[in-house]
Amino acid sequence: MIAIPFQAADWNAILPIVVLAVTSLAVLLGDLAAPKHVNRYVAIAIGCAGAIAAGVLAARQYGYDYGAFFGGFMTGGFTTVFEEIVLAALVGSLILYGALGPAERVGGTTALMLWSTCGAMLMAGAANLMTIFLGLELLSLGLYCLCGMVDRKQARESALKYLILSSTASAFLLFGMALLFGASGSVMLADLTNAAVAVNPLFWMGTGMFLIGLAFKLSLVPFHTWAPDVYEGAPLPVTAYMSVATKAATLAVFARFIYAALPSGVAEKLLLPIWIVAGLSMIAGNVGMLAQHDLKRLLAYSGIAQAGYILTAMAGASSQGLRYAIFYLAAYAFMNLGAFAVAAAISGDGEEGSRLVTYHGLARRRPWLAAAMTVFLLALAGLPPTAGFLGKILILSTAANTGFVWMGVALIVGTAISLYAYAKIVRAMYEPADDRRTHDATPIAPLAWASAAFCALAVVALTFYPLTPSNVLPLVR
Amino acid sequence: MIVLATILLPFVAGAALYALPAGDRRISKAAGALAAVATFVMLLLGRDAQWSFHWLSRPFESAFDFGATPVSFWIALLLALCTACAILATNVPRARSMISLLLFLEGAMLGLFLARDLLAFALFWDLMLLPVFFALLGWGEHASTAWRYLIYNFAGGLTLLFAVAAFGAIYGSTDVIGRAGMPLVGSWAPWIFAGFAFAFLVKTPVWPLHTWMPSTYGDLPPPMVAVVGAVQSKAGVYGFIAIALAFMPDYMRQFSGLLIALGAVSMIYGAVIALIQHDAKRIVAYSSLSHLGLIVVAIASANPAALQGALVYIVAHGLFTAALFLILGYVEEREETRSLARLGGIGKANPRLAGALCIAGLAALGLPGLAGFVGELIIVIGVYQAGYAWAVIVALIAIVLASAYVLRLFQGIMNGPEVDDLPVRRDLTWIEGLAVAPLLAALVLVGVQPHAILAALGGVAP
Repeated sequence: MIAIPFQAADWNAILPIVVLAVTSLAVLLGDLAAPKHVNRYVAIAIGCAGAIAAGVLAARQYGYDYGAFFGGFMTGGFTTVFEEIVLAALVGSLILYGALGPAERVGGTTALMLWSTCGAMLMAGAANLMTIFLGLELLSLGLYCLCGMVDRKQARESALKYLILSSTASAFLLFGMALLFGASGSVMLADLTNAAVAVNPLFWMGTGMFLIGLAFKLSLVPFHTWAPDVYEGAPLPVTAYMSVATKAATLAVFARFIYAALPSGVAEKLLLPIWIVAGLSMIAGNVGMLAQHDLKRLLAYSGIAQAGYILTAMAGASSQGLRYAIFYLAAYAFMNLGAFAVAAAISGDGEEGSRLVTYHGLARRRPWLAAAMTVFLLALAGLPPTAGFLGKILILSTAANTGFVWMGVALIVGTAISLYAYAKIVRAMYEPADDRRTHDATPIAPLAWASAAFCALAVVALTFYPLTPSNVLPLVR
Repeated sequence: MIVLATILLPFVAGAALYALPAGDRRISKAAGALAAVATFVMLLLGRDAQWSFHWLSRPFESAFDFGATPVSFWIALLLALCTACAILATNVPRARSMISLLLFLEGAMLGLFLARDLLAFALFWDLMLLPVFFALLGWGEHASTAWRYLIYNFAGGLTLLFAVAAFGAIYGSTDVIGRAGMPLVGSWAPWIFAGFAFAFLVKTPVWPLHTWMPSTYGDLPPPMVAVVGAVQSKAGVYGFIAIALAFMPDYMRQFSGLLIALGAVSMIYGAVIALIQHDAKRIVAYSSLSHLGLIVVAIASANPAALQGALVYIVAHGLFTAALFLILGYVEEREETRSLARLGGIGKANPRLAGALCIAGLAALGLPGLAGFVGELIIVIGVYQAGYAWAVIVALIAIVLASAYVLRLFQGIMNGPEVDDLPVRRDLTWIEGLAVAPLLAALVLVGVQPHAILAALGGVAP
């Protein structure tokens, strides 16, 4: 018998992921056993319970730095925070299925979403090239299916487009990884910090392709064109999930790479293109929002810009900046999930909530939902009293500290542009509605409603109690 | 605690109004005015109180730290008084929502003026845009006005945000307002100053950044424009006194020529446009541009006497602007127009209305015995002492022009032959009178007894 070289601590490190993976099997079984009229809720309940269990297990690893599997999967503060954000995205999106979509498919979609989350959590802790790719593909494969799991032409288009373009990005990423391996002779990110690696041209090419792959997944300009189309076509809960989870997981990999895997001295030159791309994203993403008539497309463009804001915090690779990037990401997760929850709550059988015309006069018909939506939109625009405001000021302060003032200026300009797009929706909601439609025909969706309320409270509360994780380093071993 | 309660009370009251019946506007008015009067009393009681709650320790020290400074105390009192009067004068459709917005606006601006922390200041700076934006959407005539207001001021708010962030990064703490502190130094300091100054100049506003102002003032309903014109415009000049002069005095000195020039152009430009406008509200709006130009000149001259005068004039301008806007609101309600080309001769049937407009107008043109005169006189003396004789000459021209446009406004509305096709309505009701009486009384009071306000800056002036 071959002795397994891993210890209990190694398995403990991935226990949250294992729990989630097993839960999705339970979801499938529960879906079979449950009576037809409640199976939607059975799937959601089991899925959420598993996610919460995984969240608790992940939280217990918060202060416990350990490189499991010979350093291939790092536990500790950084991983925990990203895992929690991904899990929050999972729960926030899952419960939208309580209001939307055909009930008979909820079991399958829930299971897929859980598996996909396993991939995202793996990415959150991945510290070698193989785990990164494993996590990324696990995440993406689930999403390809999820995008297409509704009987609509756009959904199929969305799935296919996502598959093809995302695979292209994966190809870049994989080739970059191969070159990095060629340069360093190791798959460990930690081994890339060796100064001897920096002189190797393979390292430069590899890093370039690796970063292009990541930029593609993060939908930074000029690799952003897939995002609005894919978001628009996918079912609403999947869009909500995608907009937060893929972004968080990719940012985790990105942060680990730029903070911990670059030889000293070359980072400035090597990463300058990324900062320029981030600056362009802040401008182009916000300009792109102006002409949208669909909430999902609008939030896709918004996400392009928000990724740029988060990268501004990471520019200069200060440990403060990483904390603020995480803070902003967490705030962004709540804003986005909340906005999608409102959209789900005002949708009937279709997805009316994703069309902006539906929001006309919403304040009359659903005053609380309109108030919550206002909070989310103001937060996305960075107006007080929301976490978006505080997050922006923390990012700007980091930019001033690290000397990336021009990125701060791009953030300011982008934000000024974005306000019109967000406030336009606010205006539509508070416009005096014509009296014929003072009552909303769609039934109250309690889960979506509760999710919106929770997110609104979180977005406001984070302004006054800015929780930023204190132990986010070290990132590799 | 009393400071925190003062700031929260308007927010709570504004939200609580929605629990009251919507149909009867008298209930909303009574409740709203009560809340505003209560904040006034609490401000008086909590003059020296402080309240602080830790917010951030990194990247810089920051706290929700509130408490009146000698300067902000008077502006906050002005705010509470104007809000109470505006709520009493509210006579618009959906009055409950309007009163609620007025209370939210009061809360946001109280937070701004009482903030002792720059980050809290910036928070309330952006927050106070929202009630006005919603008022413009709900009651304004053109949607474009709301957009112009929001985007113009948000741009200012963003430069302020960046400036505060950079200030904190260099200075290590933003909990600085009203405390003795080292001047800001460093290679970025001029840019930080520029960020603050841009935000303040947009908000004041000063030529050429004023283009959002006439349409906003024209479109806002009377109670809201009274508060915005009287107090929100003071946020910028308050920022100059409390932040720019206190922490960046070198740059204030360096750019004083530019600021004084902008103020001087605003004075003349505003006065000339006010002379040729036909829309009564816009006349007051442009006169406001002119008067605020004088305050900017006074602050930029950094002369102790001019600063004292500026504070008196801040209060005086707030009082007569609020009164003028409320009275013009009454006129518009009665005659359904505010064009000087249409109005005329309504003073005969409405003597009390004419009397109120007369007092407010006389204060605006600087009649001795009323508050406006005291401020103008001390500012002019101070600016002259500071060596800007040419600015004094410009200011005097503007003051003369003020007489012309105020008299034109008064005569155009109240005097002359009665216009046949305008409705004849009853004179001021007691409640309408009650809404402007405190403002007019305060104008007289400050005019004859400005010492308390003058003493506020006794120790602060550089």
